[in-house]
Amino acid sequence: MQVMDISWWALAGMFCLLAVPIIILRWTGVPLLRQMLTATVRMTVQLVLVALYLEFIFRLNNIWVNSGWMLVMIVIANLNITRSAGLRLQRLFPFLLAGLAAGTLPVVGFFVCAAVQPEPFYDARYLIPISGMVLGNCLRANVIALERFYSAIRTNTKEYITYLSMGATLQEACRPYLRQALQASLAPTISTMATMGLVSLPGMMTGQILGGSSPMIAIKYQIAVMLAIFCATVITVFANIRFSQRAAFTPYGLLDPNIFSR
Amino acid sequence: MIKFKNITVQTQDHLILDRVSFDIAQGEKVVFFGPSGSGKTTILMTLIGAAVPTMGTVWFDGEPLTVQSLPRLRQTMAFICQEPVLGAPGAREALLLPFSFRANRTRMPSEKQIQQVLDDLLLPSEILAKQTSVLSGGEKQRLAVARALLLEKTFFVLDEITSALDPQSRRAVLELFRQPELTLISVSHDPEWLTLCTRFFKVEEGRVTTQSKPPIFRETTV
Repeated sequence: MQVMDISWWALAGMFCLLAVPIIILRWTGVPLLRQMLTATVRMTVQLVLVALYLEFIFRLNNIWVNSGWMLVMIVIANLNITRSAGLRLQRLFPFLLAGLAAGTLPVVGFFVCAAVQPEPFYDARYLIPISGMVLGNCLRANVIALERFYSAIRTNTKEYITYLSMGATLQEACRPYLRQALQASLAPTISTMATMGLVSLPGMMTGQILGGSSPMIAIKYQIAVMLAIFCATVITVFANIRFSQRAAFTPYGLLDPNIFSR
Repeated sequence: MIKFKNITVQTQDHLILDRVSFDIAQGEKVVFFGPSGSGKTTILMTLIGAAVPTMGTVWFDGEPLTVQSLPRLRQTMAFICQEPVLGAPGAREALLLPFSFRANRTRMPSEKQIQQVLDDLLLPSEILAKQTSVLSGGEKQRLAVARALLLEKTFFVLDEITSALDPQSRRAVLELFRQPELTLISVSHDPEWLTLCTRFFKVEEGRVTTQSKPPIFRETTV
């Protein structure tokens, strides 16, 4: 099946649709106009650049370039997680980088090598988009989890100390907060999985169908992607909390207030 | 047993404790009192390793309190605060929570021991079937005390623990803490609690002075 291309003129026409939200925002006085315009410009520029480098990477299809690009994605995701969770980059960056890599690389590796089995196994056409989808979802979950975990201990110091005074180890005293963080961060992914196909048609599946794949192939990919996202989310959240604890607590078992950036 | 030597606790712009020194022997029952914000709770926090002194040393059993000796101190003592932390949705679960920790797994109390402690604290056994969210402040405080007693702790760090108790329960708690082998380090403004204590420390603007007689509090301050 031939993929229907969108002409640049037609795409420019899509921008005209923005006139409606602009009028509504101006009329209601919502101060988001500037942000909306900036976000639109950023999105367009970023995606055009992504298309250019993806074309380059796909054409090159080199194992080192692909691995390097995955590393860049993990580093950028990690920078974003640390900053958005309100944590100090200098203290936690290496630990969170290890946690993110420990959760995403094996899952993406399994997905690509065992499920998709492209030839060669490092085929950029599969490796890069799948890594991007998994990382993007892990990013959101990790921001929620890390923010919840450390602020819960900070605001419940007496509770945390009580656990320690009852003979709990650091891990045992942190367990209630770990539980809360996992629950809060996984809830959106679980509800997305539960309503998938009923409430929304996922982007990847829609993309594949538009790209000419049969709906059954598209669905198989979507199921595999959702499973990969869920597994990677659980592993990265767990690993990031466990790894970052090494830098976040004083030798006395107390949360170091200097880990917070705000 | 516990010695504070020239303990200073300071934040960036505030001196909380100013060269505080005192000794507390095993079996002593001491109380810290003073206006709010004077540093009483920080003394307790320093004692349990929740606040780290800027200067000075805390000694425990003749050894300076270090990262290595802190777990032993935490094993020995029980910390109960004004709004006790039960840490579980069910009362039985909360009572037995510390026994789920590796350090206490072999010390799981028998039903008979649990019943005895509940009786001593005038708590009905049906309380164990309740959710902790429906317990009154006084029931929560007594449940926290029951938990510490089941852990067979002998060293208690207590922050205003009788504040939510009715007179009868207060007397029951006092009776339990009267045992000579128990060491109590407390913050309180409860006149009845003071009858239990043998030493009195006044805390004012981060400094501690010893008083030979118990302070006199008006009922309104309790």
